[in-house]
Amino acid sequence: MSISEGTIGELRAKGVEVKRLEREYYEIFIGPQHPGSGHMRIIVRLDGDIIVDADPDIGYVHRTMEKLSEGREWIKVTPLVERMTIIDACNVTLPYINAVEKLMDKRPSTRASYLRVLLCEINRIASHLYGFGIFGVFLGHSTAYMWGFGDREVFLELAEILTGTRLTYTYHIPGGVRRDMPQDFPQMARRAVRYMRNRMAEYEKIFLNNPVIVSRLRDVGVISKTRAAELGIVGPTLRGSGVRYDVRLNEPYEVYSELDFEVPVFEEGDALARTLVRMEEIKQSLNIIEQAVDWLEKHRDEPVIAKEDYEKLPKLHKELYEKTGRVKLLPTQISMKVPPGKAVARAEAGRGEIFYYVESDGGVMPYRVRVVTPSARNVIVFKKVVPGHRLMDLPAIYGSIDYFPPEADR
Amino acid sequence: MPPRVAVKNLKKGGGLFEGVKSNIEALIVGIKYFVDPKRMTLLYPKEYPEHRPGYRGFIVLKKDVCISCAACARVCPSAAMKMVRVTEADPREPGKARQKQYPVINYQRCIFCGYCVDVCPVEALYHLPFHDITYESLADMFLTLEAFQKEPLRPVEKEGSPVVYEFDESAGLVKREKKGGA
Repeated sequence: MSISEGTIGELRAKGVEVKRLEREYYEIFIGPQHPGSGHMRIIVRLDGDIIVDADPDIGYVHRTMEKLSEGREWIKVTPLVERMTIIDACNVTLPYINAVEKLMDKRPSTRASYLRVLLCEINRIASHLYGFGIFGVFLGHSTAYMWGFGDREVFLELAEILTGTRLTYTYHIPGGVRRDMPQDFPQMARRAVRYMRNRMAEYEKIFLNNPVIVSRLRDVGVISKTRAAELGIVGPTLRGSGVRYDVRLNEPYEVYSELDFEVPVFEEGDALARTLVRMEEIKQSLNIIEQAVDWLEKHRDEPVIAKEDYEKLPKLHKELYEKTGRVKLLPTQISMKVPPGKAVARAEAGRGEIFYYVESDGGVMPYRVRVVTPSARNVIVFKKVVPGHRLMDLPAIYGSIDYFPPEADR
Repeated sequence: MPPRVAVKNLKKGGGLFEGVKSNIEALIVGIKYFVDPKRMTLLYPKEYPEHRPGYRGFIVLKKDVCISCAACARVCPSAAMKMVRVTEADPREPGKARQKQYPVINYQRCIFCGYCVDVCPVEALYHLPFHDITYESLADMFLTLEAFQKEPLRPVEKEGSPVVYEFDESAGLVKREKKGGA
């Protein structure tokens, strides 16, 4: 049975994409159970070794987070949404809390802002090293995998000392954070920073300048500046193409405008440039950690939640805070009501800009929480950039955009 | 100085000399770690990590302190904590019985966010600094009121030795035997 030309014309007129099935093309399904695919499937059609069409089939880990958020109280949404990017949990929950703070007209104390930035940068490094490790093993460079995951442990250990857990921090609450930094944290953070700085030189030698790796990445998956803006991609993938956009720079949140750091941008737009943007970002994040720790050490008198909230705390809670640095929640915060309104907030997560739209109808639960995640915007690279490359370039491009399926699927 | 953009450029693809040089550099780094590896691998269960006091691990109830306010059950984001009603002897009026509610926890659902510990107005709940306990059946993970008051035994403490991680400038994390033993 075949469809007549007339029917095809009608369908095309309606805006339906109609493709003729080419018999000589070879169709392979990479994923969802393929070790290198992540929680997704890429349907690749090959002409010999050349990819003619790549179709990312996403949605395998869709958990209806936006809908679930509407059924739980405001502070209970944080442990939910951090599960969409468990390796970058601090960065993805921060804009949600920022949006709620905008609705409540509450400002965190400066100390809380610095602590947030500190954890965000620790998390960014851990997230980049995770992506780097996966990227290494995609290219068959298992040393990079071991190094990336091993050095990530250093920063997870720092985060654990700060928050009490390795990954799902649930660190932010409206108006502040849940814990103060321990007394000996600054020395440990400085040691970790100095270690990682020396380590970066070795990363360059064994991986980034390694001719085997360079030849697999240079001029692969090139996205020009205009093309990048057109596709609407974000994060290191965008900055690898020479677009100067970083939320920390263009729309500073928390205390980023007071910190001294660079936003690395590469003009080339290939897989190597995108990888190097991440590596340079790690160096800058190390600088930010040092500055944040220095500031926090000097300004110890301020509480880690908004001043007016701290004064309302009962005596037992204040004593505990002085002794352990833990901020107790008040039972009233469980069913806290947020004034009706709409708020948006964005932040620069490890993979790019994450955007929240939060609407309240004055109740104890959000009326609507909309999330646009960086991976959801970067997935288009598979469709638009991959065709034309050889099959062996697919892992290189996949790894270089650091795509994380659970984040895209939400 | 405020944040700023730094435009960088890739190194140009070098010639034969550059290629040979970077190959040798990569090999030297590889050999260096082959001869002098810096390992942080934990030989669990011969060694087990000793976490700091702030670690958010298993939760234990101090029943005598609990005031039955149910804030912990209300704040639980995954509905792991529930209140149970028990009839017990009234300490204030001897010979009489009273009804009181206490929280119990279901570790099938718990995500260790620590909200319950933070919200308790009288500090009747506290964290243990470890996570590694196994249960024989799923039903065992639903703790009874008695089990919730006991600090669970950590099986690895019997066969292993405690280890702490320290930050080091040359090796990142260094594993050290904890002084004083278990």
